[in-house]
Amino acid sequence: MVRNIGISAHIDSGKTTLTERILYYTKRIHAMHEVRGKDGVGATMDSMELEKERGITIQSAATYCTWKEHDINIIDTPGHVDFTIEVERALRVLDSAILILCSVGGVQSQTITVNRQMTRYGVPRIAFVNKCDRTGANPYRVIDQIRNKLGLNAVLLQIPIGLEENLKGVVDLITMKALYFDGHMGEVIREEDIPDHLREEADARREELIDAATMFSDELTEAVLEGTPTPDMIRDAVRTGTISLGLVPALVGSAYKNKGIQPLLNALIDYLAAPGDIENKALNLNNNEEEITLSSNAGDPLVSLAFKIEDGRYGQLTYVRVYSGTLRKGDTIINSRTGRKCKVGRLVHMHSDEMKEILEARAGDIVALFGIDCSSGDTFTSLGLSISMTSMHVPVPVISLAVVPVDNKAQVNLSKALRRFTREDPTFRSHIDSETNETIISGMGELHLEVYIERMKREYDAKIEVGAPQVAYRETITRRAEFNYIHKKQTGGSGQFGRVAGFIEPLEDVEYEFVDKIVGGAIPREFIPSCDKGFKKCLKKGPIAGFPMTGVRIVINDGSSHSVDSSDMAFQNAAAGAYKEGVGKAGPALLEPIMKVAVEGPSEFQGGIMGSLNQRRGLIVGTLEQDDYTVVESEVPLSNMFGYSTVLRSLTQGKAEFTMEFAAYRQVPSGLADDVIKEAKKRRK
Amino acid sequence: MVIEDFLQKNPLRVLNLDADGKVVDRRMGLVIARAGLGKTSILVQIALDSLLRGKRIVHVSIGQNLDKTKARYDDIYNNTVKAYNLENAAALRDETMRNRIIMTFNESGFNVPMLQERLNDLIDQDIFRPAGLVFDGYDFTLAEKEDLIGMRKLVKKIGLNVWFSAVCHRNDPRESKVGVPAPCHEVEDLFDTIILLQAESREPAAGRSGNGKVIELNILKDTTGGTDSSRILNLDPATLMIIRE
Repeated sequence: MVRNIGISAHIDSGKTTLTERILYYTKRIHAMHEVRGKDGVGATMDSMELEKERGITIQSAATYCTWKEHDINIIDTPGHVDFTIEVERALRVLDSAILILCSVGGVQSQTITVNRQMTRYGVPRIAFVNKCDRTGANPYRVIDQIRNKLGLNAVLLQIPIGLEENLKGVVDLITMKALYFDGHMGEVIREEDIPDHLREEADARREELIDAATMFSDELTEAVLEGTPTPDMIRDAVRTGTISLGLVPALVGSAYKNKGIQPLLNALIDYLAAPGDIENKALNLNNNEEEITLSSNAGDPLVSLAFKIEDGRYGQLTYVRVYSGTLRKGDTIINSRTGRKCKVGRLVHMHSDEMKEILEARAGDIVALFGIDCSSGDTFTSLGLSISMTSMHVPVPVISLAVVPVDNKAQVNLSKALRRFTREDPTFRSHIDSETNETIISGMGELHLEVYIERMKREYDAKIEVGAPQVAYRETITRRAEFNYIHKKQTGGSGQFGRVAGFIEPLEDVEYEFVDKIVGGAIPREFIPSCDKGFKKCLKKGPIAGFPMTGVRIVINDGSSHSVDSSDMAFQNAAAGAYKEGVGKAGPALLEPIMKVAVEGPSEFQGGIMGSLNQRRGLIVGTLEQDDYTVVESEVPLSNMFGYSTVLRSLTQGKAEFTMEFAAYRQVPSGLADDVIKEAKKRRK
Repeated sequence: MVIEDFLQKNPLRVLNLDADGKVVDRRMGLVIARAGLGKTSILVQIALDSLLRGKRIVHVSIGQNLDKTKARYDDIYNNTVKAYNLENAAALRDETMRNRIIMTFNESGFNVPMLQERLNDLIDQDIFRPAGLVFDGYDFTLAEKEDLIGMRKLVKKIGLNVWFSAVCHRNDPRESKVGVPAPCHEVEDLFDTIILLQAESREPAAGRSGNGKVIELNILKDTTGGTDSSRILNLDPATLMIIRE
């Protein structure tokens, strides 16, 4: 009996603190440490030094625990939008999630993002309204926000006994009992009658709960009509509603004050999906990628997904979710992307950065493997199967900066760090700029790159100098143009000859497409790949300012060759010449990344917020105004977003905040393009 | 078809939405119908027609979220592209939607003075100066006449083309002299153009889809002088696109 759950929420809503409590009450750890605790130990799940120091979760950590004879695999995920790939990967392999909300801040923009991700992967969820001990706590308002802003059918399973510093416990609306959490660490649960002053509220909220639950159970509806609903009937109906994504049960408490955690653990078991409750789809590679449903049966052939790679002190660690069948130590499995067979060496259960050796993992388990060479997102199956799990959505990096090692030792260490980080995180990339010879790293935002730079320095002792963040500009073409180029060279020895003709045209949403329409052997077959190679080389640098090209289709439809002088190199050079001829006539244009920016704050600042976005070449897409709170959605060029957090803070007295994610590449206005080009040329010099 | 041809052929020209130089740029219009007949769809088509002519539009949506409203525009735009085989559709779409701001409010938190304040913010700070406003989901049963008068003053002051939608109910027989049903029968005088959508049971015109039901756009009132009431407009029941019979 397994539950694979994720813990996702807005930054600083208490995810890691909650996980620490869960591990303590399930006896997985024997002492609790706080995220920014005075003991300096840091929370168990924040194993990275940097996480402990900054008090944020950067990598999602995996752990497991046992509660009431159920194994619970937990992935604690980062809250900051720059680490969104970690959240996406976690959600892909989880069956359900806990959505944590702060009882003061309520639904914030990051909560909306996380909720959207959960919806994309069809993850059933329960809500935990945390921090009910904080000044200004109002869980009822938060529930309304879940309903209105997230569009979820949230229903309270508990109400708090007291709020802010008077938070004493919770009333369970199913058993209609008051629960208090005694003992030094809240480990002793005392059950009592509901305090008189809460009786009326509890009755009303219970009625709301039962009303919502009856939508999912005829049995409960009948029992309600007869006046005999039992707690089990209500639980069953809530479970059905939750798993079918029709209901979001909400619990309240305070992880920091150790209140309401054990009932949350019970709720995980009672309402969240077991692996068998969820329909997992895969693609049958033998049958034109037809979608098939996996069985979740441990006796069936193995299908598993590597969702996270980590290069650690013990070599490459691959996190795997088993979807069907059983993964055993010593088994031979096959990577369906590469077709390569490999043997399962060590198999472990992860607990943050500690691990426990196991012999097998059954359908539904999340475990880690050692010594398997693969990339994140690869599918492993039993021999003879040809199945691939659907691929994960990977966002494109939009910001880059140059890192320069100060000496040779730093250079070696930097390469080691980059090799590891780029393997682990598909949104973090690196390359060497051939003109400036600088190492360029790219990622999802300033914080994303900042964290990797810190890790290079700390974990790899790579002494590096860091350049200012640069926007990842691209180049493209805007119209179709023909080319017909002859490459001829005769300088002693064998010569070079090749003619390539065709056209180049704009293409949406794809970086590059090569189309061969040569008929009658105008270019011999063996030289067609040479043409493609020649074009690809040219696409690395655009004609305007040397930024990579995107959105280009090249079609070749004619050419000629020479029986002696034509060669691979000759056709690569001919393609390069053809490209230069075509691209110059195809209206090249400079593109810049446009970010979707959501600013959220009190309505009184709406005018100011819109003005600040407008000044940054922002396009206001829309506003959402609710209860004195406004969300302004806009699209702003990334180049204008540097330093926006400081501006926003001073503009709104620190009451507004923003999130940003990549939206699209769009053409840079001609007035600004000149500056970008000049700057790019200056940097190369 | 190129965009200029489409704009001339758009059935909405019947409503004289500033075509052929006869500019009607300070109008309050109303589309009234029972629930589910396509009011929002008409508002979006009116807005889209303006957007495609390079005008800026604010879409106010009460009780609908931002994503749903955006999706409405995308659907209508895609249907238009398909029906008229518009050229250069993707680029045109990006360009067009840049001229639109959607403002969404929840039902309980909305009032007209607040909207006026928001519009003033946009105009005064030179962020966005709309030429038109479509107003979907306004509850006329709770409307204060004073608010609508205020809105009309704003329309005349800053030169806006504003279109409202309103829901009427089968079981409320009240109506004005020209046939404007409740709850708008007492505020009829504040509107320059009023269109009533009515479902009629008859065969759709040849070549049109539908199951024997036609939704007619009945022009009950027009004081702008430019509307061609002799032309009959319908809504295609399948796509909710305006068609000329």
